[in-house]
Amino acid sequence: MKKSQKIFVQFGICFFVISLVGLLINNLTINLTRTGLGFNFNWLFKPASFALAEHPLPYSSSDNYAWALFIGWLNSLKVIVSSLMLATVLGTLIGFARTGKNALLSLLSAGYITIIRQTPLLLQLMFWYFIGFLGFKDNTFIHIKNIIKISNQGIELSGLTLSSEFSALLFGLGIFTSAYIAEVIRGGILSVPKGQWEAFRSLGLSEKKGLLSIIIPQALPAILPGLTSQYLNLAKNSTLAIAVGYSDIYAINDTIINQTGRAIECFLILLTSFLLLNLLICNCMEIINKTILNSRKYN
Amino acid sequence: MTNISISSIIIYFQKIRRNLSSNLFNTFLSLVLLLIISLVCLNTFEWLIFDANWKVVGSNLPLFAFGSFPSNEHWRPAIWIISLLVISIITLFGPKWKWLRKNLLMAWISTIPLGLYLLYGGFGLTPIMSRHWGGLTLTILLTTCSSLLSLPLGIVLALCRQSSLPLIQKLSSIYIDVMRAIPLIAVLFFGQLLIPLFLPVGIEIDRVWRAIFAFTLFVSAYIAEDIRGGLQSIPKTQIDAANSLGLNQYQIIQLVLIPQALRIALPALTNQSIGLFQNTSLMAILGLVELLGVGRSILANPEFIGQYIEVYVWLAFVYWLVCTIMAVLARHLEKRMTINPANF
Repeated sequence: MKKSQKIFVQFGICFFVISLVGLLINNLTINLTRTGLGFNFNWLFKPASFALAEHPLPYSSSDNYAWALFIGWLNSLKVIVSSLMLATVLGTLIGFARTGKNALLSLLSAGYITIIRQTPLLLQLMFWYFIGFLGFKDNTFIHIKNIIKISNQGIELSGLTLSSEFSALLFGLGIFTSAYIAEVIRGGILSVPKGQWEAFRSLGLSEKKGLLSIIIPQALPAILPGLTSQYLNLAKNSTLAIAVGYSDIYAINDTIINQTGRAIECFLILLTSFLLLNLLICNCMEIINKTILNSRKYN
Repeated sequence: MTNISISSIIIYFQKIRRNLSSNLFNTFLSLVLLLIISLVCLNTFEWLIFDANWKVVGSNLPLFAFGSFPSNEHWRPAIWIISLLVISIITLFGPKWKWLRKNLLMAWISTIPLGLYLLYGGFGLTPIMSRHWGGLTLTILLTTCSSLLSLPLGIVLALCRQSSLPLIQKLSSIYIDVMRAIPLIAVLFFGQLLIPLFLPVGIEIDRVWRAIFAFTLFVSAYIAEDIRGGLQSIPKTQIDAANSLGLNQYQIIQLVLIPQALRIALPALTNQSIGLFQNTSLMAILGLVELLGVGRSILANPEFIGQYIEVYVWLAFVYWLVCTIMAVLARHLEKRMTINPANF
């Protein structure tokens, strides 16, 4: 294409996009004035007047909407971080079991991965909530002295109480993501050439030592990008908390929309909160990535 | 003859023994695993056959399949689902006649207008509103329509992102990155609640189409990234070769780039459509009565209250079955589409 043609095409497309957006915004303003809502964020500082079952920081229903939203964001972060850890531990174990020597264990983990990956997450969450936690008929499932108590009230772990909604979400998200992480780990281990295994064995290193100091350091650069995208998926999937009644950022936005009708503003808030969450996860993973690559360089 | 088979069996068992009991720890682990597996299997079978009350599934089968579609018109979605199954079977096991294989793609695409005609009615059939659609029929409809619509949009977005025009490249990058950063449920929420606000007064789109639209917007961003991966792995020499053959830019895109990129991205694309099928279950939260939504409404019925396990196990089985069929079809397609890598 000639240069003038290029500029013309770009100009045309830009004009098209701008006029489309303008048309949509025009429709929006007409619709908002028709319903008498308008567009502003003043309502954020009015009392929220709904209760939250779970709040890591003090909250009462007379606090304002902005504070409620912040609590929701913290709740999201709490469930994301804890299920992220569960998923990583489980996923690593299953990934190693999948690539390990024991054929039975490998078969078993392959079955686990297929079953988890071929049913919807929402169904799994509901399963954990309605069957896993609310389903205990005699209220208590496990009760070992004062160390751990699992009942339809949730999990009590030596003083730390987790509600049944949180626990269901933790297990659901953790187990769902662990199947994907296991595949990432397996891919990473398989990406290490077979000669490396033979080499450390012929050097007389034990399997454990060889795995830890030869195979895993080489598999990590292949594993980390996949792991990051699985963590981001987990963060996005945590919005399904609304199905089990956990008050995360999406659920609180939903409640506020039902109360005030401020759909557009809440949607923008939701987008911004997710942008923040994504940035947080990406930056953390970037730091981890750099540390690991640096530690390899100097050794 | 018997000698050979006996010795091969012996070798087979020796292999298993070597695999399972290379050292003491492995032997122990295998035994414990075997014990656990057999216990779990026994308990599951006992529950499946004796303890579970399958009446909740058996008496609601039409509801699971067709939702609240009028019962004297059930044959319409049934014909559609059966025709999809027949085409799948023909694709997998059918004869290798050339004309059949050539027209198979057209047959697959034409199932969508067929399904829409059968569901909507008109032209001789009783018209039925989309709010009566539901169950597995609606789930499959959402999946097929959104995948078919998001493929061209994804291709266009991927090409735009690779384009040499900076403005177009920026615009499509922003769209793709934003879509990939936000959760699906937010996009679906946008589709159900916010799209009506953006439309001029008096124009309305029904809920099913709004859902399909939202799914299309979301999935096309992911498809665009998959196809971009395909485009980037095409060697630069291909474009030089096409240029030296005298093809113009559109011919290069249409005849050289897109077919190869699609073939490379095929496994990722089929995974996207399987993921899409599972994700249609999110519409249960937003008020469409698709497969999971039917399950929820049945559990809310006082007659079946508390029978969570039966309903959820049944739903998990249906989702698993359809996903497996899709995965088998995808593998078949991948096998047919692979070429000798030495040609590159």
